[in-house]
Amino acid sequence: MNSNSTFQSALIMLLGVLILQFIPLYGDWGFWRPNFLLLMMVAWMLYFPDQYGIEFAVIMGILADFIFVSTLGFHILIFSICGLILIFFHRIVVYLQLFHRVTLVLLMILLVEFMCLAIDSSLDKQQSIGGILVLAVISALCWIPLDKFVGHCYSRQK
Amino acid sequence: MTLDRYTSVFESTKSNISKAIIPLQLVANFPSKVFDWVGMNATSRTKLEQKNVSLEKERLILLGQLQRSAELAAENLRLRQLLNATELLMQSVLVTEVIGVSPNPVDHTVTVDRGTNDDVFVGQPVLDAEGLMGQVVEVFENYSKVLLITDINHALPVQVQRNGLRSIVEGTSDYNEMSLRFVSPTVDIEQGDKLVSSGLGGRFPMGYPVGSVASIHQRPGEKFMEIKVTPSAKLDRSRHLLLVFTLEDGDVTRDLNE
Repeated sequence: MNSNSTFQSALIMLLGVLILQFIPLYGDWGFWRPNFLLLMMVAWMLYFPDQYGIEFAVIMGILADFIFVSTLGFHILIFSICGLILIFFHRIVVYLQLFHRVTLVLLMILLVEFMCLAIDSSLDKQQSIGGILVLAVISALCWIPLDKFVGHCYSRQK
Repeated sequence: MTLDRYTSVFESTKSNISKAIIPLQLVANFPSKVFDWVGMNATSRTKLEQKNVSLEKERLILLGQLQRSAELAAENLRLRQLLNATELLMQSVLVTEVIGVSPNPVDHTVTVDRGTNDDVFVGQPVLDAEGLMGQVVEVFENYSKVLLITDINHALPVQVQRNGLRSIVEGTSDYNEMSLRFVSPTVDIEQGDKLVSSGLGGRFPMGYPVGSVASIHQRPGEKFMEIKVTPSAKLDRSRHLLLVFTLEDGDVTRDLNE
């Protein structure tokens, strides 16, 4: 699998992820929907840090800002910080077992949610802290198929 | 972030991106449409017949009420003319369907399948069968974005139907709850009171149901009471909505004659 077909896989995944993000969910279901764009970014940056680096994180952040109608820069900042953490740790994380990777993703989601809360409170927006753990667990579980898919692309490229 | 928060430099870019996102919303909405279609086709003939009979009865009742309502509207118009009232307004409606919901749970907006081609305009009130839903905030050629009354950035002038007490109802980012602002502890308001749009501010027409008072709580030392309101409209369930067009004086007469 060359880099071109990897790009195609990423594009297909992006489309799928966007559709998942847009499926209408109301009430608490909406609050518990994972940030699929972030999960996708984590998966690709873990396996392909040379092709999908910090620029990829920034692009996904811009996309997330437009999709979630948030202040421009909000998700760029959060995605970039996550990207930096992933670049720093990817050599270790990529060789970990799935369970440990899922745990790390769960911790990253918790970090992201706390960053969101911190930025929101600095922008005078009130956000609830309740349900963050549930969201992190759901996100970590939803990350497994994404990890499998990108892992498959990775092994094919190798 | 500062630029975006305090200026409108990126507004046009954001608007163009939201336009590009609409096809994705349509695709994401497709599974629920398929479920609806399957549900409709899987309904048995007996159930359909029962539903048809009950709808026919309901139609007859509504037609009877409508006759009375038309008579009252005409009488109201005549009385207003006698009083030389300037607000001789009446509404016509256009049915629209929700085709997308914002992926951000805090942002209460929906996309509907009518746009500039159907003369939809920014600020246009939107209703469902139960009450006021929100207003149009962005219009494209064939689609529009509607800000719901439960959005945290939405405020709406209302009055209590029982005694005409005016106040402002604000969204709380919860589909089932809004809050009534600036109500002093001495005023006459009770749990269960119906709230209707007051028409003040000129954006929403007067008299549409907004919600009912769910709870009243007074904190000691606070100037105003904490009042929670349950919206009348089924904000998280309604698929078919009504876009309200306000007709001017001449149109009212024509409409009534018709």
